[in-house]
Amino acid sequence: MSRVLVAMSGGVDSSVAAALLTDAGHEVVGVTMKTFCYTGTGSHGKSCCGLDGIADARRVAVALDIPHYVFDVEEDFTRDVIDDFVDEYAQGRTPNPCVRCNSNTKFRDLLRRGRELGCDRIASGHYVRSEHGPDGSRLLRGRDEAKDQSYFLWGLPREILPKLLFPLGDLTKPEVRARARALELTTAEKPESQEICFVPTGDYRDLLQKRLGSVHAALQPGPLVDRSGEVVGEHDGYAGFTVGQRKGLGGGFDGPRYVLEIRPADRAVVVGAREELYSDLVEVGELNWLTPEPPRPGDELSVQLRYRAPAVPATIQTSHGRQLLELHQEFPAVTPGQSAVLFQGDRVLGGGRIVRAGRHTTPAPA
Amino acid sequence: MDPIYLDHAATTPVREEVREAMEPHLHGCFGNPSSPHKWGREAAAALAEARDAVATAVGVRFTEVYFTRGGTESDNLAIRGRVRRLVEEGHAPSVVTTAIEHKAVLAASAAAVSEGARERVVLEVAPDGSLDEEPLKEALASSEPTVVSAMWVNNETGLVLDVPALAGRVREAGGTFHCDAVQALGKLPVRLDEVPIDLLTLTGHKIYGPKSVGVLIARQGTGLRPLLHGGGQEQGLRPGTEDVCGAVGLARAVTLAVAEREATARRLADLRERLEERLIREVEGLRIHAGDARRAPHVSSVGIPGVDGSSLLMSLDLEGVAVSGGSACQSGAQDVSHVIRALYGDDAGIAVVRYSLGRSTTEAEVDRAARATGEVVARLRSGAPA
Repeated sequence: MSRVLVAMSGGVDSSVAAALLTDAGHEVVGVTMKTFCYTGTGSHGKSCCGLDGIADARRVAVALDIPHYVFDVEEDFTRDVIDDFVDEYAQGRTPNPCVRCNSNTKFRDLLRRGRELGCDRIASGHYVRSEHGPDGSRLLRGRDEAKDQSYFLWGLPREILPKLLFPLGDLTKPEVRARARALELTTAEKPESQEICFVPTGDYRDLLQKRLGSVHAALQPGPLVDRSGEVVGEHDGYAGFTVGQRKGLGGGFDGPRYVLEIRPADRAVVVGAREELYSDLVEVGELNWLTPEPPRPGDELSVQLRYRAPAVPATIQTSHGRQLLELHQEFPAVTPGQSAVLFQGDRVLGGGRIVRAGRHTTPAPA
Repeated sequence: MDPIYLDHAATTPVREEVREAMEPHLHGCFGNPSSPHKWGREAAAALAEARDAVATAVGVRFTEVYFTRGGTESDNLAIRGRVRRLVEEGHAPSVVTTAIEHKAVLAASAAAVSEGARERVVLEVAPDGSLDEEPLKEALASSEPTVVSAMWVNNETGLVLDVPALAGRVREAGGTFHCDAVQALGKLPVRLDEVPIDLLTLTGHKIYGPKSVGVLIARQGTGLRPLLHGGGQEQGLRPGTEDVCGAVGLARAVTLAVAEREATARRLADLRERLEERLIREVEGLRIHAGDARRAPHVSSVGIPGVDGSSLLMSLDLEGVAVSGGSACQSGAQDVSHVIRALYGDDAGIAVVRYSLGRSTTEAEVDRAARATGEVVARLRSGAPA
């Protein structure tokens, strides 16, 4: 059996992934990536890759009798993920740092360092499946529909795919927990991590203030306007809003209002009624394909536009050098900066970052 | 194949004789030495015996031996305790140390400045062990008192500083001399009846004694202020109920280390020579740190160009060879240590490996370690991605 590098966050999923690989007879090497320096944040690293995550991963590694190391990727992570996160908010978009990390930082680094340690495979505790056949490798949704994490992995460099193992792909979360309990792993009852690992307080605006300075336009008050351009209120900084958001808009409207658009140019947050949230045309950028050939215009695909949302049928087309997804049914709150992940059945074809969304009848605004 | 432990400068296992000496103090003989009853008396007697053994081993008086909770604490007590005392007496002392000291000494010296020391002078050290003369002379010539702290044996390279000469100069200039000797005891002669050292740090766990117990030798007349406040234990210098069990273990370890010193040093020097011969043969471009200087026999630090340091250490671990990248206190950090930087400048792209040998080390082990190093380096160099 081969030597496999397993990314261990200190959570229950990656702990069980490591255990399953050990059972399967692989020589397993555990690593935890230190993405962020927690000293001085005043937090106790509640999120999974904090210092307690490292300590938990170590304890599990000792229990499984496998080596475990810490890869310090702070510098790359800050540049590739945190800087991007801040920049996206500054530009009125809603970033997805976990996608960014998986695409640019985590797996690339695991592969590079794994190779140095003589590991020919990389494994993680994601709920996705990979199939390796003569005609290449495919990434598939995890069996557990409630936990499927394929949404986060569309940006993987395709050449890495053949090296990846996802031992949890055929399991459900309850099965994984049961397994962890049976093995008496210290992480068996650990709660799910929800926060972004570098925002342990849960309030990303603190981070933006620190990195942008509080005088930045994104953190200054600005107008709330409706689609007709009429000012209907004031907000305390557009970086605090995301498309589809209802909270924080104040009252006095004749019915619930939602964020439709964020316009950094005049610091405006555009609001409207629920029915105005829907779009059926989505422009995407930074496309990445996990298939040998990108899908052709007119191919029947489905697209997932946020984590845990159902995929909707769509086709892809190119118009004036722009990649457009034509949705066959309307979808609410398509959010610039978030991911559009393309599927054919269970198979992840690839994806991109949402640039803007609009309605078919009224082409996406330029 | 069983893994090989070549990290004895990080820590050592408790040896059998030490464990046996400590054993009675874990249960039957558990008293508090300050208690007036039978249990207390027995504990006090054991503590006194331990103190006596340490005093004899290094050539000082019984009352000059203070038990502490380890090397870092002893270093802090020596430097900051001495500075506080001098400040109280109305002085503005200078603290002089070297660039290759353990972090405990460097950090304690920096803290001393915030506690009233006038300045901290850090002396450059050449790879042959010689110190930067000018700033040393200047500090010693000052009308204010000077506290000089220099290690006897550097933990990362084994480099030996000329402590007897330095101690003599400091004494002559009327200064206070502290020496961190945790890596020297049992490898070099450490006799305070021959070398004029005022304050000396020792620790148990580098010489097959227990962890978390150390000694500060403070020669009579070297006034210190305690860092902790509490009862009157250790003549008020280190309050807190004494760790009799630890002190007994440490004393046994010190006695054995000193008694076996010559034989140990000879054996380790032979093994290290064998290791380095093989490493030089196996790894192209390998450099031995402080290779031309006088070194303690148990440490071999090498620089290997063209490979990533953390990948090299992890790969060696995967091959069952336990070494370190410098000192164990900073593993995880990928930067070249302050010691190697101080000796060789900023040398990006050089991986540093420290092999440190001990009682269990055999010829077969050093052979295997050298072979594994050669293989791993070859693999890393061949596949080294840009």
